[in-house]
Amino acid sequence: MAGTGTAHLRDGDPNVLVRVEDMVVEFSISSGTVHAVSGVSFDIVAGETLGIVGESGCGKSTTARAVIQMPRPTSGSVTFNGTDLTQLGNEELRKVRPDLQMIFQDPISSLNPRRTVSDIIGEGLRVWGARGQWTSDRLDELMEAVGIDPRFGERKPHQFSGGQCQRISIARALVLDPKVIICDEPVSALDVSVQAQILNLLEDMKQRYGVSLVFISHDLSVIKNISDRVMVMYMGKVCEVAGADDLFARPAHHYTRALMASIPGSKAVVEASMIEGELPSAINPPTGCRFNTRCPAATDICRSEEPTIEAVGGDHYVACHHPATETPVTVES
Amino acid sequence: MTANDQPHRDRPDDGRPDLPNGMMLEVDDLTVDFDTPSGNLRAVDGVTLRLAERETLAIVGESGSGKSVLSRTLINLLAGNGRRSGSIRIGGRDIDQLSKAERKHFFGVEVAMIFQDPMTSLNPVKRIGVQITEAMRYHLDLSASAADKRALRLLELVHIPSPAERMKQYPHELSGGMRQRVVIAMALACEPRLLIADEPTTALDVTVQKTILDLLDELRQERRMSMILVTHDLGVAEGRADRIAVMYAGRIREITTTDRLFADMRHPYTEALLNSIPRPDLPSHTRLHPIPGRPPNLLDPPKGCAFAPRCRYAQPDCLESEPPLDGPHGHDWACFHPVGTPEGAAALAANEEAGVTAAGLSMSESEEEFV
Repeated sequence: MAGTGTAHLRDGDPNVLVRVEDMVVEFSISSGTVHAVSGVSFDIVAGETLGIVGESGCGKSTTARAVIQMPRPTSGSVTFNGTDLTQLGNEELRKVRPDLQMIFQDPISSLNPRRTVSDIIGEGLRVWGARGQWTSDRLDELMEAVGIDPRFGERKPHQFSGGQCQRISIARALVLDPKVIICDEPVSALDVSVQAQILNLLEDMKQRYGVSLVFISHDLSVIKNISDRVMVMYMGKVCEVAGADDLFARPAHHYTRALMASIPGSKAVVEASMIEGELPSAINPPTGCRFNTRCPAATDICRSEEPTIEAVGGDHYVACHHPATETPVTVES
Repeated sequence: MTANDQPHRDRPDDGRPDLPNGMMLEVDDLTVDFDTPSGNLRAVDGVTLRLAERETLAIVGESGSGKSVLSRTLINLLAGNGRRSGSIRIGGRDIDQLSKAERKHFFGVEVAMIFQDPMTSLNPVKRIGVQITEAMRYHLDLSASAADKRALRLLELVHIPSPAERMKQYPHELSGGMRQRVVIAMALACEPRLLIADEPTTALDVTVQKTILDLLDELRQERRMSMILVTHDLGVAEGRADRIAVMYAGRIREITTTDRLFADMRHPYTEALLNSIPRPDLPSHTRLHPIPGRPPNLLDPPKGCAFAPRCRYAQPDCLESEPPLDGPHGHDWACFHPVGTPEGAAALAANEEAGVTAAGLSMSESEEEFV
């Protein structure tokens, strides 16, 4: 990748909750087909946080959303709890939806301004038939868990700050006791002190409710802090998959190394790995490795042949013909 | 483009008058108030600043700290309900003493600004070339062809490939990084001596961010330009600024050289801000330390130090009077019990002993009850 392959899937692990194989998402537009996600495979173990990182347009949001079938992938499979979601009809899919929830980037616009907070958090419960005392107990429990005073249940979103609105979104996502929550840049719109509160809260909620998170961010420091495992994406392909600490200690893909060299304030010693130029068009992506047009290590094979994902030691996988395994970088701050 | 190409030198450095006492910007006791339906809001409260030629000063703070109002006030972009007091001297000239004719060609020429969002700061229905040449034709009275030539050189200068084609394109045909370069080219069009960049890279990817910040650095050196970099990101400030001013609730709380700020910070807010940021050198799942509480309501600011209600060092005197911004050797801070001093250590120890600060903040590390 940026290439294809499934070497990094943990098929022997009985705790695998979500298994995505060779997922493709394409959009037709007037000037052709946008190849948003091109053959991405990954899995998520129960209770794990998978961080997805990459530049805008790399397909990270589309990948995460396609897992919950919004939009449905063009091809490939998404197995959740033993069921292939891509094969389900709309009504069957609806029944799985409570297990798959989402938190969005802009906490204020993702809450209906005309409804009360308990109405917003409790909607899922009403849709799924919960009534009466149980509902209000559940609402109180969740609001307390996310740090919103339950007495404020009758207030509307505009009476809360951005950080509080994000807490409300988290309570809403948790109310049906989901298995997976997709967090699409949930802290990007927040100030750093509030960002710390929300990251800590997500960590606590993950422990308390045993939920798995797919956490999307363009901020590498945030990704490292929250994730167990990190997947680096470039132009709809997987570049590298590894444990969070491992990835930052030994980035093997040249794109990962370039991202790390770009961390503001980092004194990362990454020789010649700064990338130049712009992202190529997703309508007409480069052949071979999609990163070859900007890669400092690209050779002929990179332009003709797509690399497949391979282990470079331990639980660390990279899709590159010339992985940089020899010279570890030190990221300091 | 290399430095030897001597790009865009219609007005060589040498033609510029030297700055009196070497200061590009002198701000004294600047205060900005807004009339709002709920009362008077003091967004900037007695800011005094000096900025030397070629120097980069980062202004760091969270939303509502007054950093953007301050930077907009410097370029005379105060909203209609705003009132300013205090003096601003740019390049040795008091902006209140400029004649009407001088004002017309001062803002946007001597001092220019780069805004955060490259999409909304460009006109979507005008070609790039028209937008870049507009200011040059108005301020510098260039002919259409001279302005076009100069716009081409500017686009080259900010490393935009095939600039001649770009001139004919509309903003939506460019990527975010390219659009921000166009915005930078526009800001540089009249060769400002002071460039104010308000979160110039916040909307961009990290790789593009680095390229843009490198570019600004290069241009600053090449053109003897001073820069104010407004950012919420201490990481960006650390890598780019000569000095950093930390703002909170309309005031500068600490200001010093970048190295000293990170090595020897004094203000508890600076420390709290740094502790709340996830750092790439710490292991995954390191517990973050959010700043407890929330920023003060500027319509009804607290008595004493505005940070005291959230400060782990707060003592009774912090609630009574506002500490002055002062300090030795170009390192000023506004705190009675600064970090890394015996007073600070004593204050922290006393609060830990009591389990609560003078402002009533719990010292336990557990999450605050409700926010």
